[in-house]
Amino acid sequence: MDSTALKASNIRARLGNTEILHDLSLDLPAGRWTSIVGPNGAGKSTLLKVLAGLLTHHGEVTLLGQPLRSYTARARAQRLSWLGQNETAADDLTVWDVAMLGRLPHQAWLAGPSDLDRAAVETALKSTQAWDWRARSLGQLSGGERQRVLLARALAVQAQVLLMDEPLANLDPPHQADWLGVVRCLQEVGVTVVSVLHEISMALHADEMVIMAQGRITHQGACVDLTTHRALEQVFDHRISIHPLANQWVALPSLPA
Amino acid sequence: MRWAGFVAMKVWQALVRIRLSVSTCMAALMVGWLAGTALAAPIQVTDDRGVVVTLAQPPQRIVSLLPSLTETVCDLGHCVRLVGVDRYSTYPASVTQLPQVGGGLDPNIEAIVALKPDLVLMATSSRSAQRLESLGVKIMALEPRSHADVQRVLLKLGQVLVVPNAQFIWRNIDLATTAAAQSLPKGLGATRVYFEVNSGPYGAGESSFIGETLTRLGVKNILPASLGPFPKVNPEFVVRANPDLIMVGQRSADGMAQRPGWSGMRAIREQRVCVFTTAESDVLVRPGPRMAEGARLMARCLASKARGATP
Amino acid sequence: MNLRQASVLGWVLLGLALLWVGLGVSVGSAGFENLLRPLLDPQAAPEQRAMAQQIFFDIRLPRTLGAWAAGALLGLAGALAQGLFRNPLADPFLLGSASGASLGVALMLAVMGGPGSVLASMMGSGAGFTVFGTGWLVRLGLTGAAFAGAVLAVLLTLMLSSGVQHTVRLLLAGVVVGVVLGALSHLVLLWSPESLQAMQVFMLGSTAFVGWTACWLMLGVWGLALVSGGLLARLLDGLSLGEATARSLGLPLAPMRLALIAVLALATGAAVAQTGLIAFVGLAAPHVVRSLVKTTHIRLLLLSSLMGGVLLMAADTLARWLIAPQELPVGVLTAVLGGGYLLWRMQRGRQLGG
Repeated sequence: MDSTALKASNIRARLGNTEILHDLSLDLPAGRWTSIVGPNGAGKSTLLKVLAGLLTHHGEVTLLGQPLRSYTARARAQRLSWLGQNETAADDLTVWDVAMLGRLPHQAWLAGPSDLDRAAVETALKSTQAWDWRARSLGQLSGGERQRVLLARALAVQAQVLLMDEPLANLDPPHQADWLGVVRCLQEVGVTVVSVLHEISMALHADEMVIMAQGRITHQGACVDLTTHRALEQVFDHRISIHPLANQWVALPSLPA
Repeated sequence: MRWAGFVAMKVWQALVRIRLSVSTCMAALMVGWLAGTALAAPIQVTDDRGVVVTLAQPPQRIVSLLPSLTETVCDLGHCVRLVGVDRYSTYPASVTQLPQVGGGLDPNIEAIVALKPDLVLMATSSRSAQRLESLGVKIMALEPRSHADVQRVLLKLGQVLVVPNAQFIWRNIDLATTAAAQSLPKGLGATRVYFEVNSGPYGAGESSFIGETLTRLGVKNILPASLGPFPKVNPEFVVRANPDLIMVGQRSADGMAQRPGWSGMRAIREQRVCVFTTAESDVLVRPGPRMAEGARLMARCLASKARGATP
Repeated sequence: MNLRQASVLGWVLLGLALLWVGLGVSVGSAGFENLLRPLLDPQAAPEQRAMAQQIFFDIRLPRTLGAWAAGALLGLAGALAQGLFRNPLADPFLLGSASGASLGVALMLAVMGGPGSVLASMMGSGAGFTVFGTGWLVRLGLTGAAFAGAVLAVLLTLMLSSGVQHTVRLLLAGVVVGVVLGALSHLVLLWSPESLQAMQVFMLGSTAFVGWTACWLMLGVWGLALVSGGLLARLLDGLSLGEATARSLGLPLAPMRLALIAVLALATGAAVAQTGLIAFVGLAAPHVVRSLVKTTHIRLLLLSSLMGGVLLMAADTLARWLIAPQELPVGVLTAVLGGGYLLWRMQRGRQLGG
């Protein structure tokens, strides 16, 4: 399964008057989990938006073998799900309604929710432990609970490619661990997951890692590779060091000697 | 001996004659002096704000910011003294040639001051009195609202302009108004009238100026005094009151018959609607010296359109 | 679940509406006064019955239903505006669309109205192209002009605020557009004094001369707007997650936004052209609904509509009742009630701004 799910070639993108991404090229393998890391302002969120087709850019993005531009909005939405950072959400919608919004790409325009939709929403809400309070309105939830609902919304799309920008925001460690479990399950069914994370230790659980700095990719490689670790330490100015611990790789801040 | 007595008598007569002429002189001088003082006495009139306005002599340059006051000044025969009027003063025709200094509520202060008036006449509801007074302009605030006010304002301005026959002028107006009332045939006393001032609908109640004219003409008003001078009524009220005659200005006359429920009203069905032109409406609405003309307009309307009238 | 709550609210509002229609037709120039007896009593004098019939059918019923229809239109417009701009302070007034609608009406009157105009001679005397005219042509013409004005205003607001992201900028742009267009309307009216008097009363909001023509027109537009809004309700739901997410879900934002603006302008224009400027109904109705039920837009639009209808009908009935036979301007009453409600909400510490 070594086909590329998402391929970006010579991407240049700007926000306002500043060029954020400088001539980027990237291959994201299918069915694998890639995490994108880098210091603040590296352009990670911008890259993710470009890959999701949400930002105008120079260059080509290919989704599942076809140019992104060639897809209709609906077709693209059925194959690619995007979870943004700091998403606004209507406080007045219930948890269930918000998760159901994830089914919009699959629903006919005037149709109500089908059984398939209901099953998808149930699965998504259960996997983020939000099922029990599906009747509550979003405004009544805490930051972490709300994040889990938004995550469920992204999961409900049941797309082949899932892009997530800071999905662990506000989540406490147990729920971060749950998220890890969800991603692993998705991988088993062949979903390509791409996540921008600033929790480096979490990011190191992925299969592949893409390291960015100042709008360019400095390294792409497997998370278990030591070269990746060295590149990571370098991009963060050696303020972190990667160590193996209990079957995982952890990034610890290196205190000045 | 007799010769001395004769001389003494002559001397005595001469002295008396001198004394008489002296006192006549003195008396003449005194009368002259008194007369002079009387002529030079300052004019003092209390305006509607309760302020005593003092003028050393009758004003030669007058600016008027209220049409009824403009008309009053002209009716007193001193139209020539007007140097500026507001934009709504349209009568007599000569005043339209004068410089316009804004409206009653929004006068152009600069323009007024530039005209160097001796006196500015305005309504009490205008807020620019203080501003003008602080610039050294003399203000007189008069706001006629009723028939009695017309007389009062006429007499006050007569005082200011030193018009001796102001009371006579008023009597003429009053008599003409009564004549208009008397010109109506007797049977019209029960006619119930609705006078619409504005689409809204705003009607003229008994306590308004128009209402007073109607009362003097001997007809009834469907809007009682308890509603105030210009109430905004529910159109249903008019339909239920079913007036015998409707008086309305041209501007709000359009589409009256199409108003919901109004087509069934007796006055509309029998076409007993008097539509007044804009110029006529001005006469009817302004509490001023043309009040008799206004009464005549309404009398004419009643005579031709009221029930029991012979057209 | 919430579906049931929403249905209950819907039925309650419909019931309230019916009840209030009953109340509304009982309030007239003599205050509260039931007309049933003269209408139904077979022994009533025919003159009395004719009068009662006329008052009931020609005056009170279209006026009361018209108040409901205008309120429904404004409630719908408010819900659309709040969903489209993702801002709980949006309403047809704050976006300037109501001022745009009144400018359209003022221009149309200045050009067409008055006894000497072309249109008056075409329609014959007495058909009156005034703001209170009752002919179909007049009302359609005025509604069309109001619609055009409202569209213009919303587009100007969007242009000025360059998009809807920035809440403060959007509201500022809306206020600016509203004030400028309002001033332009006044300018137009000064230039054509024949319309001035009627428009001044009209601007304060009034159902005084709402006849059956106006009533049917509003109900028709309401049906159309509700259906269109319902078709577009999905978009509003998606938008509530943010523009980027809505786009990622495949929703065609640009054309749908234009369609929503058109529906918003149509609803606002239809209401303003028949009853003048009535504030706060569009703002308060969706808020009250949202404080009672949590639901998606497809039900929110209908419920806001029903709520707006009840609110305006209640305000109109009060306006006619309190100082009968005189009338308070409805717009003043809704501003006092709506403003009071908003102040109360703010006191309770709920956040209204974005």
